[in-house]
Amino acid sequence: MNIINVKNLKKNFKVKTKKAGLKGSIQSIFNPTYREVKAVNDISFEVEKGEILAFIGPNGAGKSTTIKMLTGILHPTSGDIDVIGLIPAKNRKELSYKIGTVFGQKSQLWFHLPPLDSFHLLGKIYELSDSYVEKRIAYLTELFEIKELLEIPIRKLSLGQRIRCEIAASLLHNPEIIFLDEPTIGLDVVVKQKIRDLIKKLNKEEKSTIFLTSHDAGDIEQLCKRAIIINHGEIVLNETVKNLKYNYMNKKVIDIKYNEAVNINIPDVTILKSKGYAVKVEIDSSVCDIDEIITELIKLGKVADITISDPPLEEIISNIYQQKSIGGDRVEEDS
Amino acid sequence: MLTEAKKNIKLIGMYFKFNLYSSMEYRASFIIQVLGMIINNGSFIFFWWILFENVESIGGYGFKDVMMLWAISSTAFGLSHVIFGNVRRITEIIMTGELDSYLLQPKDVLVNLISSRTIISAWGDMFYGIILFIGVNGLNISDFMLFLLFNCTAALFFTSILVIANSLTFFIGNAEGIAGLISEFMITFSIYPEGIYKGIAKLVIYSVVPAAFVSLIPVRIINNFSIKWLLILFVFVILWSVFAYWFFYRGLKKYESGNLIVNKL
Repeated sequence: MNIINVKNLKKNFKVKTKKAGLKGSIQSIFNPTYREVKAVNDISFEVEKGEILAFIGPNGAGKSTTIKMLTGILHPTSGDIDVIGLIPAKNRKELSYKIGTVFGQKSQLWFHLPPLDSFHLLGKIYELSDSYVEKRIAYLTELFEIKELLEIPIRKLSLGQRIRCEIAASLLHNPEIIFLDEPTIGLDVVVKQKIRDLIKKLNKEEKSTIFLTSHDAGDIEQLCKRAIIINHGEIVLNETVKNLKYNYMNKKVIDIKYNEAVNINIPDVTILKSKGYAVKVEIDSSVCDIDEIITELIKLGKVADITISDPPLEEIISNIYQQKSIGGDRVEEDS
Repeated sequence: MLTEAKKNIKLIGMYFKFNLYSSMEYRASFIIQVLGMIINNGSFIFFWWILFENVESIGGYGFKDVMMLWAISSTAFGLSHVIFGNVRRITEIIMTGELDSYLLQPKDVLVNLISSRTIISAWGDMFYGIILFIGVNGLNISDFMLFLLFNCTAALFFTSILVIANSLTFFIGNAEGIAGLISEFMITFSIYPEGIYKGIAKLVIYSVVPAAFVSLIPVRIINNFSIKWLLILFVFVILWSVFAYWFFYRGLKKYESGNLIVNKL
């Protein structure tokens, strides 16, 4: 069952352009020139109930603009959006009871207040009963391990602590869909992992649908079954993460540690690194046979250790960007 | 419509309680700010007192009348900023994209936005006006009731004007300067005797910058009760409030959001 349906969605921004310098400024007062920027250009996709979907793309691809249209913040220029049977731009209030949103770069908690106060205030805003709010706070505090943070003003929390409180706050009213816009931005590896585990847990325990934007490949690799890659406002790829890896991952990386010095000279094998007796090579499985190559590598000398791995998803995605000849920032007002 | 209004009043009440409670957290700061504002406003009494020592009346107004103008303007200004403290920050909230977080909540955007914050020093303006009114007019219950009523209408005028001026941001980019200017106009025009305004100035204060409705007409009604002017006042306050509300939502359709990294203060 689809919980989000998007059809031919478009969003154009009118951007005032100005030539450099004072002359340009004066000119733009009397004769302003505008340029239409297509932030989101005719995209269509569906999200199934209970799914974790990654929405990825470089800066300025139109990710945030899409989320903002799905949550009712922005009105689309054209196209249809259906989220839980509601039209976000028209049924904003009704929809907000059913969705939770976290913008990694934007705090929704009151800066000077401890999270506990913010939670209670949000409970009032979402018209939840006091007993329900208490129950939810108890549950979320345990889930997010934020008990000791509850009474400390937000401004004194670290980014990782704050983002945990932000996500907890967005879940207070038990939403069906959670929109996370770059939830792991700026976090260190340990905290990132913690947040990922939490998201996984949420999806499992609360059966929430999760719509995630990120440009961190780790988020996608570990969390999502399906990824939509977007660039310049258009969908470049809409595939399961498994397929994504399979289709775009014909390269393998082999690390070998020999017991003696060897000289590798096999066609189709690229040496990435060679240090002492250890060598790191890359092979393209679409042009050569892995089996043969490995046999030849082992024949070269006594092997102490060998590892064969896939290149990280990060590389795959950056390959896709390059293959589709797409780069970063074109739409400046959105990231 | 009625349930919607009820919900909004409930929301305002909730924020009011919440804001009051959180301003009390910093008790010393609260008291200093409130007292500071009272002393600041109070210094103007001497200016007028010295002036009226030398002249009998200005534009038909005596010392007591001018003080009543001050009392109403000050309390109403205070009231509007105690309850709708974010009204002056609308431009900033639009430009930084902070508005997003209000759009994600199941409440009326405008009401939610303007009432989610309080200005502590505005309590000082409010108390000052009340003290001043009782000081110059004595404790006359019916006058005081009228005074309270006019504070509410004047606070709505202040709020509406600021909402309209700040909502221009949706259309022209940054209306902070204009909003500041209009706010200054409103205050200035509502604390001087009416007689000094002639021609166009008079037209302005009865129309685009409705300062006359803030304090001049109310003082006239307190001194000389007139049901006709009272009704005119009510009609105007409703018109301005409805227009402000409509204008904000008209602009909201043009909202383009933003991506600045911001904190909700």
